[in-house]
Formats: sequence, C-alpha cells, structure tokens
Amino acid sequence: MSTQVPEQQAEETEAEQSAQAHEQTPQQKRQDKKRERQEDAAKRLQEEEQRREMDADDTYHLKVFRFDPEVAAKQEPRFDDFYVPFEKGMTVLDALMYARDHYDSSLTFRHSCRQAVCGSDALFVNGSQRLGCQTQLSDLEEPVRIEPLPHQDVVKDLVVDMEHFYEQMHSVQPYFDPEETPEGEQRQSKENHEKIKMSTRCIWCAACMSSCNIAAGDNEYLGPAAINKAYRFAMDEREGENRMQERMEIVEQNHGVWRCQTQFSCTNVCPKDIPLTEHIQELKREAVKRNLKFW
Amino acid sequence: MVPTDRNAEAVDRVAGADRDAVGAAADHDVDIDVDYEEVSVPVLVVGAGAAGARAAIALRQNGVEPLVIGKRDHGDAHTTWAAGGVNAALGTHDPEDDWTIHAADTFDEGHFVNDPTAVELVAREMPDRIRELADWGMPFDRTPEGDIDQRYFGAQSYRRTCFVGDRTGEAMLDTLVAKAQELEIPYRDNVMVTRLLSDGERVHGAVAYDMEDGGFVLFRADAVVLAAGGFSAVYDRHSSRDEENNGDGPALAYEAGATLMDTEFVQFHPTGMVQDPDWEDDWGGRLVTEAVRGEGGRLFNADGERFMEKYSPEQMELDARDVVARAIAREVREGRGTENGGVFLDISHREREFVERRLPRMYERFKSLGIDLAEEPVEVAPTAHYTMGGVDVDFRTGETGVAGLYAVGETVAGVHGANRLGGNSLAETVAIGKLVGDHVAGAVASMGEGESHDEEGHGALPDGLRALAERGFRALADLEASDGDVAPEELHAELGRLMDDCAGILRDEARLHEGLDRLRELRDRTGDLQVDGDRTSLDFEYAVDLAFSFTMAEAILRGALVREESRGAHFRSDFPERSESWRKNVLVRRGDLGMALSTRPAGLPSEAVQEAIDEGHELSYHHLE
Repeated sequence: MSTQVPEQQAEETEAEQSAQAHEQTPQQKRQDKKRERQEDAAKRLQEEEQRREMDADDTYHLKVFRFDPEVAAKQEPRFDDFYVPFEKGMTVLDALMYARDHYDSSLTFRHSCRQAVCGSDALFVNGSQRLGCQTQLSDLEEPVRIEPLPHQDVVKDLVVDMEHFYEQMHSVQPYFDPEETPEGEQRQSKENHEKIKMSTRCIWCAACMSSCNIAAGDNEYLGPAAINKAYRFAMDEREGENRMQERMEIVEQNHGVWRCQTQFSCTNVCPKDIPLTEHIQELKREAVKRNLKFW
Repeated sequence: MVPTDRNAEAVDRVAGADRDAVGAAADHDVDIDVDYEEVSVPVLVVGAGAAGARAAIALRQNGVEPLVIGKRDHGDAHTTWAAGGVNAALGTHDPEDDWTIHAADTFDEGHFVNDPTAVELVAREMPDRIRELADWGMPFDRTPEGDIDQRYFGAQSYRRTCFVGDRTGEAMLDTLVAKAQELEIPYRDNVMVTRLLSDGERVHGAVAYDMEDGGFVLFRADAVVLAAGGFSAVYDRHSSRDEENNGDGPALAYEAGATLMDTEFVQFHPTGMVQDPDWEDDWGGRLVTEAVRGEGGRLFNADGERFMEKYSPEQMELDARDVVARAIAREVREGRGTENGGVFLDISHREREFVERRLPRMYERFKSLGIDLAEEPVEVAPTAHYTMGGVDVDFRTGETGVAGLYAVGETVAGVHGANRLGGNSLAETVAIGKLVGDHVAGAVASMGEGESHDEEGHGALPDGLRALAERGFRALADLEASDGDVAPEELHAELGRLMDDCAGILRDEARLHEGLDRLRELRDRTGDLQVDGDRTSLDFEYAVDLAFSFTMAEAILRGALVREESRGAHFRSDFPERSESWRKNVLVRRGDLGMALSTRPAGLPSEAVQEAIDEGHELSYHHLE
C-alpha cells in the first residue's frame, strides 16, 4: 500500500506551521485545521478500507508505477500496491480513479473523455500499451501492473512527456491541403474514402510510438502515428500529384518509412484498430514505384 | 487529442494584490494576498468544442488572434458525443431539397418560436459550411458517385443529414482542431472560467482557475466569446457526462448582465439507459440510439403492453421524440413502469445476425454489461438531452447586449425554438460560429480609439474590475476551504432529482412551485459545503458548478411556470394545448429582486421560407431506410 509522504517530512511541515501560527489569518488557520483533520480522517479511512479490501475475495490487486522528481520520497521510482474492489464492467481507468479517490490523492495520471476519443490515457498495462478507459480489468491477470508509456520521459507517476511525439506529428504537416478548391463540392470517390477511412481515426494517444522498437532506438524516426497521418493525406486523391510528391519526400527521408521493420507492434496496440504497419508498407511501395519512374 | 501552441501571449505573473485597487472593498479577508497569473489577449473564446473552434478559425482568418480555453484535455469536448450527423440541404439524393425546406422543417419542429434570422442563416449557409469542412479534410461518407452521402433523420422531409459513420461529431471536431492548428491558434486546456469581468455594461475579461495546478488566472480581453455548452445536466437523468453541460455558459452570461431566453424548452430523448445497481459505471441516461426503434424495436410497459398503440397507433414507436418521451413518462407515472422507473425496449424478435450488423455499437455496449440485445429487452426511460434555450443573442452579430460579450452554440437560444431537429446542433455550431467570429474580428479591429491601452495594446482593466477579480479569487479560495457537512455532489444529485420531479416531461403549476421551494432549500445548504480536496479535485469543480446549475435550474422552473401552454418539448398537463397567443419567447433578466421574466413576440419567417412551410413538406416513415 502507498505511503507517499514520509513521517519526518510531515513533522517538519507541522513545525513550520506552528512557527508561523501567529502570522496566520483566521482563514489560513481554518484551512490548516481542515487539512489536518482531513489528513487524519483520510489516513484512518484508508487503512480501514485497505485492511477490509485485502481480505475480500473480489478485489483487484494493482501494482502502479510511482515517480515524482519534486517529492523526495518519490524520486526513486517504485511500485505501489493498491487493492481495489471489483465491480462488473470496471476498467483500468476506473480502478486508478478509485485508488486515487480512496487511497492516495497524489496518484497522477491523465484522463479526460473516458470513451476512447481524447487519447489521454494510454498506459502500459501488464506489458502492453492500452487505453485505460478501454481495458476491462476482468480481461487482465493479477496483479495488474500499470506503468507509464515506455520510451517517453516520465513527468510524474503515469504521466509522460508528449512533446516529442507531437513534434513528430507536426513534422508531416497533418492538414488537408488540396492543390485546388473546386467551385462547388469537393468530391471524393467512395473507393478513395474507404482507403483512407481507417487512417482518419487516429486519436493521438501515442500507444503505437511507445510500442515501436525502432522509435525507441532512433529518436528521429517519424514513428507509426506520424507516418499514418502522412498516409491519410498522401493517399487522398484530392490533394493532387505535386502535393503527394512533397508528402512522399517527407516520409522517404532517412528517418521515415524505411526504418520500419514490420514488427506489427504498433498495429497490435492501436486502440482504434488502424492498420498502421500496412499503411507504412503501402507508402514504401509507393516510394519504390515513384523512384522507378525516374530511372 | 491534437495539441497546438499552448503559449498564450503576454503571460505575466502578478504576485500579491494591488492594495490600492482592493482598498475600496470592505471584505473581511481583504488583507490576504492572492497570487494569480495574468493573461492578456484580444479575444478570449471560452469553450473548445465545435462552436468555439469555428469562431476562433474565423477570427484568425480575419487577422485577430484568439485564445481558446477549455475545461478538458485537448480535443475533448461534448461535440464528440454527437454521433448521427449534421444537416445541410445539399440534395445529394433528393435534388428537390433546398435551404428553404430545411428552414421550414426547423420551424415546424421548433413550433414557430425559433429566431427567423438564426434559422435562415443556418439553413442557407450549411451547404457552404459542409463543403468547407470537406475542404479541410473532414472524411464524410460518400456515395458510389463520390458525393457527400446523406441520410434520413427524424422529422426531416428529405435526406439531408451528412455523416461520418456513427462518429460525426468526433470527426468534425478533429477537422476543426486540425484547421486551428494549421492556423497556429493558441489553445489552453484544463482551465475553467468562474466569472466574467463585467461592469454590467461591458465585459473586460474573465476570472478562471487552472484545473491541473489549481492556480488562479485573470484573463483580460477586448472581447469574450462564450461557447461553453448547455445545461441539460441539471437533470438527474441526462445524456451528458456528469460534469459537463451544467450551465456555466449561459449562467456566466446572465451574471454578466445578458438576457436568457426560452430556458423552459429542454429536449428529452425518449430512450436513455436505466441504471442497473450492479453496474460500476454510471450509464443512467446515456442514449440508446433512435436506430434501435428505427430497426424495429418495440416498447413495452411492465405489464407487457405495447403501449404506443394507445398513444400513436399510426406511427407507433417512430413518432416524434417528444411524443414517445411523454408516452413513456405517462406509463411510468401511472404505475406501469419497471421497478427502476423505466419501460422495456425490445428488438429480440429480430435475428441475432441482423441486430449485430445493424446496431453494432449498441450490441457491443450492452454485451459488455452482460445484456444480449438479440435475446432480451433493455430498460429505457427518457433522458434530458439538449437545451434549446440559452443566451438571447442578435443573430446578425452574436452580440449579447453586454458590450464585448458574444455567445454561440448550445449556450445560446434561438435556432431550435421549442424543439430541436436532430442534426441541427452540429449545423448551428459551424454556421453561427463563423458568423460570430467574422463579426467579432471586425468589432475588435475598430475598437480602441479613445480607450486606454496597455503595453501589449489591449484595453487596460479598470481598477474596480481588478478588485472584482481579486474578490473572485478569494471567493474561490474560501470555497476550497469550505469545511461543512454537505458534499457538492450530493447537492447536484438532489438538484437533479428535483428537476426530474418538478420540471421533467410532464409539468404543472403545483409541481413547478414545489421545485422553486426545493431549490431555495438547496441554495440555503450551500452555506454548509464540504469541499474534499484542493482546486484540482473534481469535488471543487462540482462546488464551482453548483452556482451555475442553480441559476439555470431556476430559469427553467420560472420559464416553465410562465409559459401557460404546451409547445414542443414543454408540456404543461394543466395547459395541454398549444396556444396561438403564446407564439412568444420568454426572456429572463437579472432584476433587482432576482430573476425578472418578460415575453417578446417571436419573429416571422421570410416569404420564401413561409412558402416552403405552407407547402407542407413532410417525411414519410415508409421512406426510412
């Protein structure tokens, strides 16, 4: 179970508080008292609940990665154990929220829409990249190991730095850019719509990038998500030949499509079932075709 | 989901309050300094859904840089919950459709209290807005000929609804965010506005807090565009997420001096899920798509009667949303409902293969909850889905009557009148969003002569308003420190039950009065709040939402009390008929003694649209695919 704040530190805080007590306004005093009371109550409740729930049969045992560069006790990465009462339909995200709300309010993770649309809660669960909100606890072996996405810098607990991923996404110019805009309606053949349909489903969760061994070893590799974005526009007939050529040049660069070794790890983890590896291979074939043309 | 440049311009940290400015305020804890970040922008767009994004794009294209702020992570807004589609009279399949018939259908469904300027603008502009979205890469489903595909939607005379599978809203927001990103429009996520800085006549900015680190933020802006959603979550059974659509958009405007309109019109979707006590997640109120009935689903009460035979023998389960919702509410109220307060929706007479193929998402969802849609019925009951009412705006400009304050999207009233046509909410966001963005850009550009400016070139904040902002921050700090006995979530839950009981589908005078009494009691209990957690906690967010939700709940109750007739989504069992003399809008203003209500005759459609109305176009249910 989690004891994130060492006792020594708590004592220091108390000492500081009493030293400053004479300067405090009534409101601050009120707040401090309230905080102390809440901390005590929370601690008691937490201990009780954990004791009760460790005994119960239908709890799930979570092992959650913890790290916080700003808290002395958490600078050394470790795993905390949480025992969460199981309810039908409970997801990994539900379990994390339960653990945060009942045991440790400092447990930090990203989440927003809870319906696999926002892409905030990609995690490394029992050794595989998954969306927390989309993963049923009942499908997982215990203990459920929950870690931040590998191959990205950890900011705090389960939160990783997404900056590099976003940079790679931007580098492929992920905006629709047709050469000419017709007077009336922009038409698109049904076949072409079907061809790019799956590629438009990306939610920027970075699960694929995290699963990719190549990306792990080559920081400049565009990665599956960015290449899929490039695919979405390069394969859209309405953008026109010149724009496609420019897009092909982006993905053909040194750290582009040719790095992919078709391990299919990205395809396997994509929560939106985008056939990423296939898209990368198709761009490779397109590149070969184009280069042959010039010989 | 898609990040953009988060660097809001001109961010400076202000440590400590400006004593001179605060001096005037005789506040008991005036001696406490508040730390806050100050952000200065030409235009602040509050709300990061489709309406806010489209307004921001128009602003940027007109050379004005907006800052878009949202309460959630990037790309996560309620727009993504709109599944079915977006209306535009493109005439892909039905060339006889045109914008006047789209407008006529909108008036018919809205029972002629819609704002004619708004309706006609949406209907006329939508074909261009759809083509524009296609130009920006929105992956609309296509016909075999390569045109944008369109499908039938309830109460529309022709196939007019464009779609991207069953994730139209998600695809639309994705497209708008990508466009915003291409234009390098700055966004700031996870920040919530708690009050507008208004002197009653002009808005100068907003008080907000950062939901990730709890810090206070003062936004100074020459103009504020409110695009912050509606208020259907004031009901217990509602189809939104619990902490969304609780009324902050319209309530912020009301508190800043704007007028609300038609708040009594709340759309109840007939088939929301009924919570099973065994489920971990709260599914109560989530939509069971209309397609289940469209594919042959039947409604039964607890006695096994197919009750729609009594209410609508011709159209049965496929009658208009308000008719089916009222029928279910009657059955439950008269004691023929299930023990959880619903009725049964049953499609098990269809082959398993048919159900799986035609209703994949519904089939999967229920399967994950242990219910086999192909074998057994599901419990459903009406659920608050959309609020037609909101801020009263001038649809030529988006102006609210308070200088510098504009509003758009579900936050405003007018397009939908007394009931909304499916597929028109997404349409409103982009059609009106562009108009408002274009107009605000012009207004901001011509502003400033004779006004004082700071070093960044923005209007300076009058001293009185800085003091107001600092009082706002201190009030938030006090709220955080609340140490009473009442949990904010408990008050939300009680408010929800109150609204379900007293201002639900079937309303009458006695119940509405009871609702106002109960609301007063709830308000009294806010003096004894207990906020568990700091300013980054959900508990604190719920506490902040309470005031907004109370305001909008009161507006619904008072509006419903005044409107002594039944029209569209508003049904009074003591006045069960539509009254011609009530072809009016109900306005709610802040008076000296609380809410002041008045009425205003609704405008008339233009000649072209009136002609289309007179032609009596109608959807024939036999055409349904």
